[in-house]
Amino acid sequence: MTETATRPATALERTNRQTLGWAALGLLLAALLVVPIVVGDEFVYHIFITICLFAALSTAWNIVGGYAGQLSLGHAIFYGIGAYAGVILVNMGVSPWFGMFVGAGVAVVAAVVVSYPCFRLHGPFFALATIAFLEVFRVLALHFRDLTGGATGLMIPLKIGWEWMVFRERLPALLIAFGMLLVCLAVAWAIRSRRLGFQLVATRERESAARAAGVATVRVRLIAVSVSAALSAMVGTFHAMYLTYIEPASMFSLQLSIQIAMFALIGGIGTIWGPLLGAVLLVPITEFARGALGAEAIGLHGFVYGLVLMLVVLFMPDGIMGVLSRFSGARKAQDGGDEGHIAAASPSRTPPEIGKPVLKVENLEKHFGGLHVTNDVSFTLREGEILGLIGPNGAGKTTLFNMISGFLAPDGGSVSVLGRDGTWHSPSDPGEYAALGVGRTFQIVQPFAAMSVEENIMVGAFHRFHAVADAREAARQTAHRMGLGRYLEDEASSLTIGGLKRLEVARVMAMEPRVLLLDEVMAGINRADVRRAVDLMLSIRETGVSIIAIEHVMQAVMALSDRVIVLNSGEIIAEGDPKEVVRDPQVIEAYLGKEFADA
Amino acid sequence: MQTFLQIIANGLMLGGLFAIVAVGLTLIFGIVKVVNFAHGEFLMVGMYATYLLTTGLGVHPYATAIAVVPILFVLGALTQRFLIQPLMNARDEHIQIFATVGLSTALINLALLLFGADIANTPNYQLRSQVEIGPVRLLQGQLWVFLAAILLVTGLQLFLKRTNIGRAIRATAQNRAAARLMGINDRFVYILTFGIGAACVGLGSALIAPLYPSSPTIGTYFVLIAFVVVVLGGLGSIPGAFFGALLIGLVDALSGFYIGSDLREAVVFGIFLVILILKPSGLFGTRMSLSHVSP
Repeated sequence: MTETATRPATALERTNRQTLGWAALGLLLAALLVVPIVVGDEFVYHIFITICLFAALSTAWNIVGGYAGQLSLGHAIFYGIGAYAGVILVNMGVSPWFGMFVGAGVAVVAAVVVSYPCFRLHGPFFALATIAFLEVFRVLALHFRDLTGGATGLMIPLKIGWEWMVFRERLPALLIAFGMLLVCLAVAWAIRSRRLGFQLVATRERESAARAAGVATVRVRLIAVSVSAALSAMVGTFHAMYLTYIEPASMFSLQLSIQIAMFALIGGIGTIWGPLLGAVLLVPITEFARGALGAEAIGLHGFVYGLVLMLVVLFMPDGIMGVLSRFSGARKAQDGGDEGHIAAASPSRTPPEIGKPVLKVENLEKHFGGLHVTNDVSFTLREGEILGLIGPNGAGKTTLFNMISGFLAPDGGSVSVLGRDGTWHSPSDPGEYAALGVGRTFQIVQPFAAMSVEENIMVGAFHRFHAVADAREAARQTAHRMGLGRYLEDEASSLTIGGLKRLEVARVMAMEPRVLLLDEVMAGINRADVRRAVDLMLSIRETGVSIIAIEHVMQAVMALSDRVIVLNSGEIIAEGDPKEVVRDPQVIEAYLGKEFADA
Repeated sequence: MQTFLQIIANGLMLGGLFAIVAVGLTLIFGIVKVVNFAHGEFLMVGMYATYLLTTGLGVHPYATAIAVVPILFVLGALTQRFLIQPLMNARDEHIQIFATVGLSTALINLALLLFGADIANTPNYQLRSQVEIGPVRLLQGQLWVFLAAILLVTGLQLFLKRTNIGRAIRATAQNRAAARLMGINDRFVYILTFGIGAACVGLGSALIAPLYPSSPTIGTYFVLIAFVVVVLGGLGSIPGAFFGALLIGLVDALSGFYIGSDLREAVVFGIFLVILILKPSGLFGTRMSLSHVSP
């Protein structure tokens, strides 16, 4: 088979596969509703109601635990809040249909209070903090007996009917549970396929790169936990009505929190449909063991859960969804005729007029302990200018970059950026720098590994666009321009180092920055790529963008820079025309040692 | 005054107990860089083993340590070898958390299957009888636990600082790649460390079983407190864990008396959250732990 013959077929197959996926999903959802109605057995109804509720909880959890990558093991907090709010209000004569929104509101407040301080914690520490919060909530629920009934728990009054969410038959309960599952799935799907979802995943994969791309990482995470908490609380309200009795130990339960997370992991963490699959497969085991085997098998389902969990992490860490996508075949390279070449700059090599200042650095100072890494550094960058920043290793170049992109606060001095409105601003964090049009790359490439090349660039494009289609189009254009058109559908982690460096630049370019900070984008790439990169930078500059480039590849520095700054031990030791600067004895000494300077 | 002294004494004794559970956890945390959510279940397994051996053979519970400590060592080593080691280079650190959470869930429920939800009382051989020391009364068993905690912490610290294996363990913790280049078998070091960490809790379980009834979920309570202690003391710091445990023991006893026994845990976890959020390196934190917290 020739390549050209396979390409259209692949595209067709992909559409077919997608249709097949949607059909399977539709069937699964229909089965959740139809099977219990057809069988008509009380116990089967109960199992399917429980599946719907756990799938809904797990789907809601996945928005935080999967998309945002914040491993919460305290999600029962929100479920419990919803349950208590519902039952307490029902006892006061308020319908749970209203109570569930009260519960959701309280849960959102709790979620923000709990999560905000915990965002700086990573991995196991975030998980531990959420467990600790859960314990605190449980203890408080036990303590405030007047409100919660303490350890004796709360019963709901026997008021039957749709108004009270309590029914003699099972069918209405199934309909409500199924409806809640649909709502959770719809919300999760909407988040994942929109800007917010991209920004959450980007934040999860590389927080600093996401911030450099203008993602308000704290804000998107707070939105995610709020939505997730509100959904969990609403499910909690209904579940309390279904159970008719609640107590702190079973509402604010660590076991429940673990189960919710476990269903998502087993189904496929971070995927839209994974939590549903996990719950469909595992809930029947619990309920069957409880219902059919009774007291003799106490612990059996939990033992199976634990075992399944260990086997899944060992042998299929991407869950059922991971296995499914492996069987349906890996994604193939897409059409796109540029064959990895960077579009050449227009041959008119007349450098544009260098305009007015756009970025001013004044008397910048930074100490790391006793080390003076930036010592009274001042310079100005003008519109359309390419400023080369060179200096030996450890001269403080990257530290300087971190200060002029908001990642590091200077000890003294100031950085001002000319806004689009024509006034000078003093931004203080990466988000503010990004908003002013300052974009940066990282010396050590920071791809969002779990995303495709296209999605990586889209994260940058979302800085300008709200709609997915616009961002995708902008990302595609940028990708073609950067010679990444062929790899749009590939996972970012599969690129070569040269490809990753270009991806790094592409992500920033998709933001359409006015000031571009490039940190060694040419290090470690081959000669031909260096030539292309030089052409690319010149073509970027022709659109009026100002560039500061840290670079060790002298050939490139000489060809590119309008002006060069030499940094050594945190100080500017020379500044000016590239050809003159390299002849400066001080510069030669800094690079090669004293004997060369005298020679 | 008399009451106050008694509360302080109770707090210190409780602290000794927390220390003996937390020491193995902090060792694993600090060296293997894995949060062992199944640590409490290791304690539970050890307590049931003590119970079975004591009732089955009719020996003093402390004597069972000869068997319980090696059993737990093997359990820990197997956990590292077959559960954690394959996941050491996992893309996502969540995977390791789920692995130990899975182990914990499986062990709790296995105990439920085997022993039921009822508690099992290990014969206490007078260890629950009171002794008077000056103005305070303590249980004999508590004193032994406290003494054992001091010996264990000192012994472990000497082992890590003075022996070659100890140095290899510390080197691996600080820089795995560099340690490998120096010819240290890092996989072996991790298996050994996990085994030692579990063996520590094995010793603890032989000492704790006569004082507390065994139940499938006994570990959950202790492990949550042990996490508090470990974070408070600075991850991986063994003396830190000891003093952190004493502090939490005192907080527990004092808040139980002055605030209300049902709010004790809220106070302890509240302090834990404040420390975790404001000073994640812990009260006695080392630089190693800091670098682990904020990558």
